[in-house]
Amino acid sequence: MRRHSAWIVLLLIWSLAPMLWQLLTSFTTSAALVDGSIPFLQRWTLNHYRELLSSNPPFWRYLANSSMLAAMSTVLTTLLAIPAAYALTKIPKQWRQPVRFVVIAAALFPYVLLFLALLELARQFHLGNSLLALALPYSALQMPLALLLLTAAIEGLPVDLDDAARLEGLSLRQRLRWVMLPLIAPATASTAILVFLFAWNEYPIALTWLSRSDLLTLPVAMARIAGSSIYSVPYGAYAAATVLGAIPLLVLVLLFQRQIVRGLTNGAIKG
Amino acid sequence: MALIFGWPLLRYAWLSGHADSVLTGLVPVANGGANWLRLLSDQRFWVDALQTARFGVVSVGIELILAMAIALLLDQRWRGRGAVRALTLMPWALPTTMMALGWRWIFNTPYGPIEQLAGSLGAGPLNLLSAPSLTWLVTVLADVWKTTPFIALILLAGLQTIPDDLYGAFRLEGGTSVQALRRITLPLLTPYILLSLLFRLAQAFGVFDLIQVLTGGGPAGSTESLALYAYLNAMRFLDFGYSATVMLGGFVLLMALIGLGALILRLSGLIRPLQT
Repeated sequence: MRRHSAWIVLLLIWSLAPMLWQLLTSFTTSAALVDGSIPFLQRWTLNHYRELLSSNPPFWRYLANSSMLAAMSTVLTTLLAIPAAYALTKIPKQWRQPVRFVVIAAALFPYVLLFLALLELARQFHLGNSLLALALPYSALQMPLALLLLTAAIEGLPVDLDDAARLEGLSLRQRLRWVMLPLIAPATASTAILVFLFAWNEYPIALTWLSRSDLLTLPVAMARIAGSSIYSVPYGAYAAATVLGAIPLLVLVLLFQRQIVRGLTNGAIKG
Repeated sequence: MALIFGWPLLRYAWLSGHADSVLTGLVPVANGGANWLRLLSDQRFWVDALQTARFGVVSVGIELILAMAIALLLDQRWRGRGAVRALTLMPWALPTTMMALGWRWIFNTPYGPIEQLAGSLGAGPLNLLSAPSLTWLVTVLADVWKTTPFIALILLAGLQTIPDDLYGAFRLEGGTSVQALRRITLPLLTPYILLSLLFRLAQAFGVFDLIQVLTGGGPAGSTESLALYAYLNAMRFLDFGYSATVMLGGFVLLMALIGLGALILRLSGLIRPLQT
């Protein structure tokens, strides 16, 4: 332990210092941000938070939008991916390798390049400015990852189990619901949390699909503050927004770190 | 899935053969290979391609080395390891756009902490975000900060598949720990390294959020990436035909880059452990 402690401290500083700086900035008055000579005790304020919560639309609106969108994407992805993953484990052997290759290629694809065609689809089918509709491309984009994680989990189960359940007269739907689902619950949880994080953080597609300011997701709303003017970004208010936006993620990561780690590493090992 | 990934590529291929901009009233008109000819002689495209490649190769290179060190540290047994692992994950979990603006404040001239520090050390204003030779390094730093934990986790998963006995036996034979790293750890870790390399290079190639918010592609276009250029073509210049051409052109370059990388790896014999 002692041998490593210096390195551990260094690692923590590296990971956390930029965020802590934002935290500090969020409590500093705008005047003190640009004037180092202001005495220490007069540098602090809660105004940035007050401003943020009383602006129009209020900041919690973006948090709510992002939460809703991320939750819908997560539910949609898992609902579609579980049966699809089950089907993928049942296809003939000679097809399995090519299909897996396609899924991995799709998972690696830099999805930013798709935004233009997706935007056209949105215009064609009037899906712009709707959080519900935005969950569709999100689910589709996360489907490859979800499939990789879930097929790996299902393949890890003994084959006899499924056959035995079939012999007992259970239908496909019953087998999925009562036999598979409980057993792949850990993998499902990992998948769900990764999809949730993706949807929460996604930027280019949300940027092009949403224009009504009361519908913006958190990343787009944040970027808008930046884009409003290059020279006078309200850094104090912005830092406060960072802090408020980071708290849900902090809680999420601390609560689900086991699932996140397992999801990322299983995707790596078995993919 | 076929719709979301396959359709756009087909649509781009089709659009890239058409003029579709304000000039044509946003109605696609076939213009033969004009878009592609324009791409070949478009200096901005090639400059952006080089900048994107530079950004990707440098940041992924640094990330791999740092991530390796972090993974080795997290692979040891010590108290509080789980908590530290969770905290190091935070940069990865935060939205890119959110921290991009945070970085803009940290690297701000003259009020950001970095400039203040440099100033108190006597090094004049660095102008980190307005000097083309420095700003791209800031984007690299921001990317390294955010994605290193991701690679570290994948490498850590690889480390944990290596049985401890192997190291014990090696030490009995009189090997040092540096030798163990080179002779046991790295060879066994190669698949994980290659996987994260491939994944991150593809991601870095599509870098968009970070650049758009942190620098907007500036100063003087010195940090503009291909994805940002394609975005500007579509959303600012409203030239959808050419935007599609830029994206397809970028995609072809990415494929070529990955192919080249695979070739080099194969020639250098690094990839052999994978095949056995």
